[in-house]
Amino acid sequence: MTQTLTILGLESSCDDTAVGVVRQTGGELPEILASVVYGQAELHSAYGGIVPEIAARAHAEKLDLCVVEALRDAALTLGDIDAIAVTAGPGLIGGVLSGVMCAKGISAATGLPLIGVNHLAGHALTPRLTDAIAYPYLMLLVSGGHCQFLQVNGPDAFTRLGGTIDDAPGEAFDKSARLLGLTQPGGPAIENEARQGDPKRFRFPRPLLDRDDCNLSFSGLKTALLRQRDQIIAVKGGLTQKDRADICAGFQQAVVDVLSKKTQRGIRIYLRDNPAVPSFAVAGGVAANTAIRRGLETVCAENGVAFHAPPLALCTDNGAMIAYAGLELFKAGHRDGLDLMARPRWPLDKTSPAILGSGKKGAKA
Amino acid sequence: MTLLPNPLILAFDTSGKWCVAALLSGTRVLAEQVEEMTKGQAERLMPMLTEMLDGAGVTWADLAAIGVGTGPGNFTGIRIAVSAARGLALGLNIPAIGITACEARAFQAPSGACSAIPAPRDMVYLCRHEAPNAPPELMPHGQAQAFAAGKGLSLIAENSPQGLAEAIARIAAKRWQVPQPAPAPLYARAADAAPSRHTAPTMLD
Repeated sequence: MTQTLTILGLESSCDDTAVGVVRQTGGELPEILASVVYGQAELHSAYGGIVPEIAARAHAEKLDLCVVEALRDAALTLGDIDAIAVTAGPGLIGGVLSGVMCAKGISAATGLPLIGVNHLAGHALTPRLTDAIAYPYLMLLVSGGHCQFLQVNGPDAFTRLGGTIDDAPGEAFDKSARLLGLTQPGGPAIENEARQGDPKRFRFPRPLLDRDDCNLSFSGLKTALLRQRDQIIAVKGGLTQKDRADICAGFQQAVVDVLSKKTQRGIRIYLRDNPAVPSFAVAGGVAANTAIRRGLETVCAENGVAFHAPPLALCTDNGAMIAYAGLELFKAGHRDGLDLMARPRWPLDKTSPAILGSGKKGAKA
Repeated sequence: MTLLPNPLILAFDTSGKWCVAALLSGTRVLAEQVEEMTKGQAERLMPMLTEMLDGAGVTWADLAAIGVGTGPGNFTGIRIAVSAARGLALGLNIPAIGITACEARAFQAPSGACSAIPAPRDMVYLCRHEAPNAPPELMPHGQAQAFAAGKGLSLIAENSPQGLAEAIARIAAKRWQVPQPAPAPLYARAADAAPSRHTAPTMLD
């Protein structure tokens, strides 16, 4: 008998309130029946970053409405759904809690199974949702505050090959954009500037390239950008459009070089396992940057590894990826109780030693 | 829909250091539970509600409406209860009625009293019973006492979870048949957020 599964997915771990519906019949390519995303950019723009309390307030009054909208888009009712998947972490805990409680309410009311999904697993499994790529594959996950290389062996089996020891590139882009008076989110703003800039005029550091591993560091790069900016301002009293474009181009080139080089190392480690269909995928908001994508594509082509990058709308936060991750977990027999816990930190790789974060809150990655 | 003679209302609140719930059938309280806790409300609330319904021999589908405490109170706490109530209302296709802490405390308070919701740092949210639509006002405890005294009332700034869920249930029982807006947390205070301290560089051209 061929089984058809339809999963509802709720996501509220950062500044997007999102709900998706995904359906899969047997081993066919899964289908996204709805994906509703409400961003909060305008709520946070005055503060130069996401304010957790403001984000949580917006999620709490939007999530159920998003569920209604997604079901309407999919032309379904809750009676057509097989399970409720929800991001249970990691992320801004106020928003995660709102999502988890809303999902628990729907689950209790309907009797539908509840599945807590790791937000990062949502991103990491997206290449299977869009391209049906086979396990194991190598993944560069660059979502918000996260940046790590993962070997994805199954829906709940991840090996971390390396990751950032401080900032993620997404944070570096946002902070750098702020230092240059550009709009948020910083990624698209810097990419846009960089297009007109000369990447060779300013030389920015490539941290940790001397280390033969997959770990990365981006906070020094941001500081170098601040120094370069202040040097120019000290001389001229401000920046010209060209100065700014050149800084952006140099900064972006440094990020491209670091990510490309470390991807090369990740591929080398991954290929030791002799995967049948060597595949690399990049997901997360930073994967939307064309220069970064091109750099990674080149490395993959040179190493005979298939390159996958899900479409932009599925690289940024969305509910469809949570629904899909929930679908894989559901098929693997995973269920959660109504005591499901929301977790601000939740490393995907449960065995590798922590490289970032410690103390009471535990490891971040 | 036929109206049952004794509609079942489930009410709950996690706006403070507690998880409380009550099940009302008509005017009769079938069950009430008060659990004090400083954290863990998000994990405890739904299992507690399930246990309460099981204990009373009823199911989720028997409910006519949900009543939920909307604060003021702990920001995360009021979101926990409100989000659960909205999820339940959606899944059961029944109304969820938001009841403010001021409404609940006024219901509990004896006449001749003015209520206030304790807030951190010896502040209170003063409830304006004379102006039911006015939002509660955050002020020092002493100022609220002076306000009440000026009106010849005693100030009750009680923060006990006892009777809170029953009060919410009884108020919700009076309202649920009239269409109500979806419950929303009553924060009564803006989010703490400072504008960005980074100044953009001067552009020369």
